Amino acid sequence: MADELERLVAFARALRNEGLPVGPGRVVDFCRAAAAVPADHLYWAGRLTLVSRPEEIPVYDRVFRGVLEEEPPPAPVTVVEEEVALASREELLRTKSFADLTREELVELAALMQRLRLNVPTRRTRRRERARRGDPDLRRTLRRSFRTGGEPVERAWRARHRRRRRLVLLLDVSGSMADYSRALVLFARAALQADARWEAFCFGTRLTRVTRALAAADPKEALRRAADEVVDWNGGTRIGDAVRALARTNVVRGSVVVICSDGLDVGEPELLRAEMARLGRLAHRVVWLNPLKEDAAYEPLARGMRAALPHVDVFLSGHNLASLEAVGAEL
Amino acid sequence: MQFGSVEEVERALSGESYLPDRGLATAVYLAVAMRRPLLLEGEAGVGKTEVGKTLARILGAELIRLQCYEGIDSAQALYEWDYARQLLYARALQAGEVRDHVSELYGPEFLIERPLLRALRAGSGAVLLIDEVDRADDEFEAFLLEVLSDFSVTVPELGTIAAAEPPVVVVTSNRTRELHDALKRRCLYHWIDFPSLEREVEIVRLRAPEVPEALAGSVAESVARLRALDLAKRPGISEAIDWARALALLGANGTDGNAGRETLGWALKNRDDLERAQAELFSG
Repeated sequence: MADELERLVAFARALRNEGLPVGPGRVVDFCRAAAAVPADHLYWAGRLTLVSRPEEIPVYDRVFRGVLEEEPPPAPVTVVEEEVALASREELLRTKSFADLTREELVELAALMQRLRLNVPTRRTRRRERARRGDPDLRRTLRRSFRTGGEPVERAWRARHRRRRRLVLLLDVSGSMADYSRALVLFARAALQADARWEAFCFGTRLTRVTRALAAADPKEALRRAADEVVDWNGGTRIGDAVRALARTNVVRGSVVVICSDGLDVGEPELLRAEMARLGRLAHRVVWLNPLKEDAAYEPLARGMRAALPHVDVFLSGHNLASLEAVGAEL
Repeated sequence: MQFGSVEEVERALSGESYLPDRGLATAVYLAVAMRRPLLLEGEAGVGKTEVGKTLARILGAELIRLQCYEGIDSAQALYEWDYARQLLYARALQAGEVRDHVSELYGPEFLIERPLLRALRAGSGAVLLIDEVDRADDEFEAFLLEVLSDFSVTVPELGTIAAAEPPVVVVTSNRTRELHDALKRRCLYHWIDFPSLEREVEIVRLRAPEVPEALAGSVAESVARLRALDLAKRPGISEAIDWARALALLGANGTDGNAGRETLGWALKNRDDLERAQAELFSG
């Protein structure tokens, strides 16, 4: 029995080493669950207690096979990860380490970006809060009436709470954006710290969610983690596919979407046009930052850019920190 | 209220026209045995809500449903006082005397029970279904965590109300946002995937007995092909059932041909998706 317990704990530890958030509480749950079901249900006892998001299922399956390997896990699971990560036509398994590149400057820039403030528009929510005017707040009015002998002399009011809209950043990290992408990722990291619900994605030929990677406290660490996750860094560009995948992630509705890309697209312009139109309908506002716009003579002649532009609300450059600050005011 | 084994859960759910896979049956078994909330995630239309409803029927328990939405707060989820009645009552008591009657004013007859409080009072006699928790804001999630942790709440005027034995809790999420780890840690987690082709045929036949076997097979096959396309909204099981019903009413034998094309709107509810599916499935 003790051996069995050791085996289960070793399995949980192996999962932790693979990055799953398996705390002691979960391990206890897992052992209790394993004891409550017959031995051939061990796979499910673990999956129900140690896994908490679909992306973790493939990792779980792999570790399970490696450590406990009793029964082959049941039918393979189609995972959301694959929806986010587009079926890319040409997968570039090229990741880049930024540890050695212009370290000081990047870190300095990251520190400056911390001061950046983005004024995202608000929307009314259904939650109500105390206000000076608005609808009657009966609960508080009644409470106050006790001070005046049951007569509601002092009345209280409440009004709809206002809340910042979600900001969704979509960063082009393909080859043509190489000069800008690292700084833009740092920009995303700084921006995301303002609100836990904001999201960031990178794309080249496929879309990758980097929100979690960017949560790292240290900018260098954040860059490294993002680079680890984005396998097509400095590859080709398929903006239409990326926008399409983004629209499927459920985070776009009612949000402010900021796309950072030079608009040089190898995909079909027709696809990009259709997907941008859809994005425009879903999102509250679509902002496009194109670093090429830095040049005063720039005109959006690239097919992709021309296709996307009619569905963009704000078109700006975002090639340096000053222009990013201007973006903050224009949202 | 307890199941003897995972197989028993499987049999019981099947008996109520819900065909679970092994993982879901194990999840339900453990949730009831360990008295832990069961968090179900999966795409729309895979039958997450149905699990809670079916479970209530099997256990002979009262189904208490809390539909979450943006801005939901404790007044809608837990309890609220009936202010209008309180005011009238206070008036009836005449000014001046109210002070002695405050405790009467906050008596049980003025308390409006909302789903969470009702579930706590019902205890093990209830199945609490917290539906689409991802729609509520995260403050509400924190509040929910508190309730689900010790299954007790404190109403300042009445005192602490605790469940003698916690109810069975099923939480569903469509994953429009990531839930907090703290809440997930309280729960058993199960991702409900689309069923296999054979299983889907069984489900359609079970839910819509008027659909002939061949038609059910054809619908399941088409739906599987639609899911493989890159669509904005992949059709769920309920869409498959609706589509099969519609085709059966029209007397069609399968999804190919005109009847299939004309009823495709039962499976896909998005114009871009419809066009794409028309092009890829019905062009050849």
